[in-house]
Amino acid sequence: MKNKYIKCTIAIVAIMQIFVSCKKDFLELTPKGTALEDNFYKNETEVMQGIISVYDVMQWGTTGGYTMKMPLLSAASDDTWAGGSNASDQPNWVAFDNFNMDSRIGPQGGLWNKNFTGINRANLILSKIENATTLSVPFKTRVTAEAKFLRAYFYFDLVRLFGRVPLIITVLPTADLYNQAQSTPAQIYAQIEKDLREAYPGLPPTISATEKGRISMGAAKAQLGKVLLYQNDNAKLAEAITLFEDINKVGNVYGYNLMPVYADIFNPANKFNTESILEIPHSNNAAWGDWGWINGGEGNVGTQFIGMDSYNGDTYSSGWGFCPVTLDLVNALKTDPRFSATIIDGTALKAGGATYNARYQNTDYFIKKYAPLKAYRSASGVAEQNWPINEIEIRLADTYLMQAEALVKTGTNPTRAKELLDAVRGRVGLGSIAVTLDNIYNERRLELATEGHRFFDLVRTGKAVTVLGTVGFKANKSEYLPIPQTEIDITKGIIKQNPGYN
Amino acid sequence: MKGKSTFILLLFSMLFSLSVRAQEIDVSGKVTSKDGLPIPGVSVLIQGTKIGVATNQNGEFRIKVPKAGTVLVFSQIGMATQTFAINSNEPINVVLTDTENELEQVVVVGYGTQKKSIVTGAISQVKASDLENMPVMRIEQSLQGRTAGLTITTSSGQPGDGATLRIRGTTSINNSDALYIVDGVQVGGGIDYLNQSDIESIEVLKDAASAAIYGARAANGVVIVTTKKGTRSGKMSVNYNTYLGTQAPARKLDLLNATQYATLYNEAEFAANPNVAAPRFPNPSQYGVGTDWQSAIFNNSAKIQNHELSLSGGGEKSIYYSSFGYFDQDGIVASDNSQYKRFTARFNSEHQITKAIKFGQTIGYTRTNSVGVSTNTEYGSPLNRAINIDPLTPIVETDPAKYNLPLYTGNPVVRNSQGLPYGISSYAQSEILNPIAALAVAQGKGWSDKVVGNAFVEVEPIKGLKIRSQGGVDLAFWGNEGFTPIYFLNSINQTTITSYNRNSNRGLFWSLENTISYNKAIEKHNFTVLLGYSAQKNKGETNGGSKDGIPVNNLKDASLQFPVSRTNDVFYGGEYLNTLNSMFARLTYDYNEKYLFTGIVRRDGSSRFGPNNKYGYFPSGSVGWIASKESFFPQNKVVTFLKFRGSYGITGNDNIGDFRYLSTVSGGRNYTLGTSAGLNNGVSPDALSNPDLRWEETSSTDIGLDATLFGNFTITADWYHKKTSGMLLQIAVPGYVGNSGPIGNIADLSNKGFELELGYNKRIGEFSFKVAANGSFLTNNIDFLGDDKEFLGGQTVTPQGLEVTRTVIGHAIGSFYGYRSNGLFQNQAEINNYKNAGGALVQPNAKPGDIKFIDLNGDGLISDNDREIIGDPTPDFTYGFTINAAYKGFDFVMLGQGVAGNQVFNALRRFDLPTANYTTAILDRWRGEGTSNVTPRLTLQDDNKNYSRVSSLFLEDGSYFRIKTLQIGYSLPTKLVSKAGLNKLRFYVMANNLVTFTKYTGYDPEIGGGSYGVDRGFYPQARTFFAGLNVGF
Repeated sequence: MKNKYIKCTIAIVAIMQIFVSCKKDFLELTPKGTALEDNFYKNETEVMQGIISVYDVMQWGTTGGYTMKMPLLSAASDDTWAGGSNASDQPNWVAFDNFNMDSRIGPQGGLWNKNFTGINRANLILSKIENATTLSVPFKTRVTAEAKFLRAYFYFDLVRLFGRVPLIITVLPTADLYNQAQSTPAQIYAQIEKDLREAYPGLPPTISATEKGRISMGAAKAQLGKVLLYQNDNAKLAEAITLFEDINKVGNVYGYNLMPVYADIFNPANKFNTESILEIPHSNNAAWGDWGWINGGEGNVGTQFIGMDSYNGDTYSSGWGFCPVTLDLVNALKTDPRFSATIIDGTALKAGGATYNARYQNTDYFIKKYAPLKAYRSASGVAEQNWPINEIEIRLADTYLMQAEALVKTGTNPTRAKELLDAVRGRVGLGSIAVTLDNIYNERRLELATEGHRFFDLVRTGKAVTVLGTVGFKANKSEYLPIPQTEIDITKGIIKQNPGYN
Repeated sequence: MKGKSTFILLLFSMLFSLSVRAQEIDVSGKVTSKDGLPIPGVSVLIQGTKIGVATNQNGEFRIKVPKAGTVLVFSQIGMATQTFAINSNEPINVVLTDTENELEQVVVVGYGTQKKSIVTGAISQVKASDLENMPVMRIEQSLQGRTAGLTITTSSGQPGDGATLRIRGTTSINNSDALYIVDGVQVGGGIDYLNQSDIESIEVLKDAASAAIYGARAANGVVIVTTKKGTRSGKMSVNYNTYLGTQAPARKLDLLNATQYATLYNEAEFAANPNVAAPRFPNPSQYGVGTDWQSAIFNNSAKIQNHELSLSGGGEKSIYYSSFGYFDQDGIVASDNSQYKRFTARFNSEHQITKAIKFGQTIGYTRTNSVGVSTNTEYGSPLNRAINIDPLTPIVETDPAKYNLPLYTGNPVVRNSQGLPYGISSYAQSEILNPIAALAVAQGKGWSDKVVGNAFVEVEPIKGLKIRSQGGVDLAFWGNEGFTPIYFLNSINQTTITSYNRNSNRGLFWSLENTISYNKAIEKHNFTVLLGYSAQKNKGETNGGSKDGIPVNNLKDASLQFPVSRTNDVFYGGEYLNTLNSMFARLTYDYNEKYLFTGIVRRDGSSRFGPNNKYGYFPSGSVGWIASKESFFPQNKVVTFLKFRGSYGITGNDNIGDFRYLSTVSGGRNYTLGTSAGLNNGVSPDALSNPDLRWEETSSTDIGLDATLFGNFTITADWYHKKTSGMLLQIAVPGYVGNSGPIGNIADLSNKGFELELGYNKRIGEFSFKVAANGSFLTNNIDFLGDDKEFLGGQTVTPQGLEVTRTVIGHAIGSFYGYRSNGLFQNQAEINNYKNAGGALVQPNAKPGDIKFIDLNGDGLISDNDREIIGDPTPDFTYGFTINAAYKGFDFVMLGQGVAGNQVFNALRRFDLPTANYTTAILDRWRGEGTSNVTPRLTLQDDNKNYSRVSSLFLEDGSYFRIKTLQIGYSLPTKLVSKAGLNKLRFYVMANNLVTFTKYTGYDPEIGGGSYGVDRGFYPQARTFFAGLNVGF
């Protein structure tokens, strides 16, 4: 009898043992039907989807408020005012326009987050490519080069907008999330140059029609040249000149040529035209409609911003009346052949029977480049979020002028400098002028008006105080945006505010 | 396999019950009180059976017992039960004394039982005897008003709907649902599947010291349900309980009739535009009284019925309990669309295989079928529509001049059985449609099948040592289907294609638990040691699909088998999986049942926890001291029992979702490439991963005492402080990280409270009565929400998303948030005098009759920043009492229950819709100086935002007291019924929710569920009248 109990006890204890011993695996489950960061990026398709997500950030315009570079930086410069329905429509834009941002008001939060999101995604994809074993060499080379270009691209925006920012080139481990300190602009520029120098050899000189929008070798070289020029260090200009020459020379391998007609550059029908070097594509393919996350769509919200409010008439579609063009720019361009391609004369439209609402800071002049056109208004999704109008960030006339500037600064090859400046002017029927820095800078203003270069040009050439001082620009402060207060708070002061904003 | 073994067991059970009868002894005797007075009506039962008789007027009885050694049990309400072993047929005299205390009873403590007198934790108990003869629709409701520390708020009065049950407050900002353990098996989805009369007891483990044995699942409290197992009576006892009832709404709102509606609309229109050419309703009186939409929606005689049949019994070797139940309830709102049917079956048995080996099993099967309507939403619930639709529109359009209009003839309008179209309102907007027509096109139903069971083997090789292995299963299948015909309710609510969807779900939970316990007494030292190991897995899946354009026009004919085009054919699915692996130990020690100690530690490992925190430890300790057992405790008649208790423990909440520590990647981060603009799919991580993710943790301190005064007055009092830390929220990370922060253990809250349970019983001659009362005070406070957050958003009302509740640091969870009104501006001078420091008007847009908002932040204008916490939907005080009384064959019970100190947000009217109807309270609106200081003027142009700002105007006192149950029963004398071969025959009548005392002006102040405390046209609880019958064979 006793024996039986003992057997039974043994049996039960044995059953318990079985369950105790298998416990390790028992708790380690993997979810099904969900892609995880840990197990994604295992083939070319998935890595490609990863790099696309980095590109995606380039077209964002609404991270933590509206931050479309082209109209926003135009508002900051003397090209346009902020506009909108009133001063409190986009207070961040108005603050940038008047240089009275503080740590909480201004476009800094959105621009900071946008660019660091791009950097994080680039860092992630670089770390994934590093460990991937299933990628072909050409694929790996190109995607690595693209990721480095994109990281450099986002850092170039950050260093120009904020000066000192944390330099993060890896995926941060959990322990290091809160302890990143800012690096100097020189350190950041060094990393940008390094990334771009490593990137361009791995990129194709030309991009096939189906892939237009991916980065080419020409774009990377142009970007590197621009980065070198923007540092105001003459020692760096020899390399810049070489890079620009490679792009600008007749018969360049990239197929770049000035568009014969100036206005054609900005015609949405002429996507990826021969003058376009770095172009950010937009489309209505996402048929987007989420006002809470406009970035999820692919449209150009900047287009919606700069359109005339409640416009009723030919050609244009209605917009929100931001960025009315300053009379200063109007006067500068008044007699210039590029006027009609650059500025919409509202008074003239009204005379032709069109109507629109005058909004805040109205001048009756509006940005024409990438303005909303009836013919391109999206029929799918919310039209305001789906403008299929690309933005060109670097184009050949820009690299001509940058090369000319570098040549003049270093005093080398004045003939080539003149040739480049004349080419830009000649295209619109203007005659030759002396190749001086002032003339080049003036030409940049007229040629590249409202394309988002003017503010950075004023800052890097030291003209900002003179030109923008009357609207509030202060030297040694307004060159940079304030660091978002949330960054300072959350790092408990490891991130430091920019000078003048405390 | 389980089904088969159950069947065999059942057969065995039947066999055992047929044991042989021999050597009957005829016993007679008399029952008296201490004073020698005869006690009539005392139940005399053969122990372990339901066979028995009652004493007569002279306290005398006579009964035949099966054999020598049989024990008779003498019991009477309010008196201590006595037993007497019968060895001969000599007459016996039994003396019953008044009950000393209830503390000799046993409570279930999780993996075991404990004598109530030596329990050191805070445990509330509801026993079968409390539940018997007291029908509730759902088992959870039986706890309402009976147990201190529980806040139970009905989710809605719809048949089958549950209740929000909170044990000692809301423990988490995430999931605060208690853990339900039925016969040792964790069950999901609540315990409504149980048949009421199957329940032996319900224990609620309230403090961490008791609940810690369930470790990472116990922070929200534990409800342990034990089902009946049968008795060793040697005879089968059969019980049949039934009731039939009729339900009706307890209250209707007084809404404006058609004339009033038209008049007031004109007034509002005129206020907005005094130059209006012609009012919208030129002659309001022509509309008369109009349609009473509430009457069309409510059913004043909704039926309810219940049948329960149970068989129980057993012998020396085996005991069994089987039951079958059927419950059928129609709702009081839109009865055809609001119904619930439940069929239950149960087979429980236990078998002593050898002296040392015991085997047992419980199996409950439940089938439910239900149809339902939206119960508390402003977006298309029948009641909200009935309240808000204009009374001008007829339910059915009977005027040929109207129903021959193209509106009706040219559209697929909804028609009644006579073929007449339901009226289409020309005034109502948005979701406010003819509720009857909308119900006709809302076709859907749900079903569930659930099997919960366990099987165990217990070996006791030496006395006191028990080795037990138990497997448990909760297997549930459920699903629903819905059909939308082609219909036209109005121009913005119409369909052009039929649509049918159906889904089915399967959930399987299994657990295996092995325990060893050893119980030993060494002189006056009593030890019980428990060691256990447990593994459980919970998994399930959803499969569903929909087809649009199937060629049928009602749900009955709809099928997913119809072929439709690929684009109209959708399939979807999902799955979940989690595991838990645990070890636990408990030491219970007492010295002479005077000094008490219990220590528990449990280690839980969960698949839901991140790799850095895979295992959690949950310790607890509790001590008790029974002072009245001390030799120095003065012998007295006042305090006959006195115990002090104290406990501290840590428990966890593992309801944190599966795999949330991992970083998932998602698509949609797209980019346009190519000259022809193709969209390329981009994928990136959604957020950072968090390998540290773990359970939410609650530590709780409890100090309590139990006392008995005068022998029949019991007191249990508890004070507690619960602190929950590490509640899940998204972690704030710096923007430079470039991705969202992960979910992490961030936020803290605390609950503090005081509970009191009182009991009293008394017997005077043949009259006996018992009173039990309880009350609980509770305060909830949000302590921390992360470095980056001051508050979390909560409920909103209207499509504009106006915030109604917020969870703010320093206040209770989900408190009401809004503006404070300071009466109404009575005249222009008051508006002009309401100036800020700069001399400008604070409310420049106000007109006389508008709300004067308080400028809380003092910045001189009224803006979003002038909002603050203005109320709390959770009661500060919850109370209840039960009175039982009996006289001869009559019995009476009354259960009263109430809450105090909470508010209800009255969002019955869609204030965003100018054409929405009003309650007649609007007749007391401001119409000129001095006419009202509460209800603002009417205007279609609400520039002052009287109705588009959430303000204290809409808050009402939510306190109530309710006669929850009132019952009178009569049992026929045993002598009489035994002639008919019965041992019990009882009739009763009962009322549920007979009276509710409240200042709240809506249907029902008790508003639980997802819209907690916000009344959007809440489906109220019914007032029900029952007649019932209990028969025992």
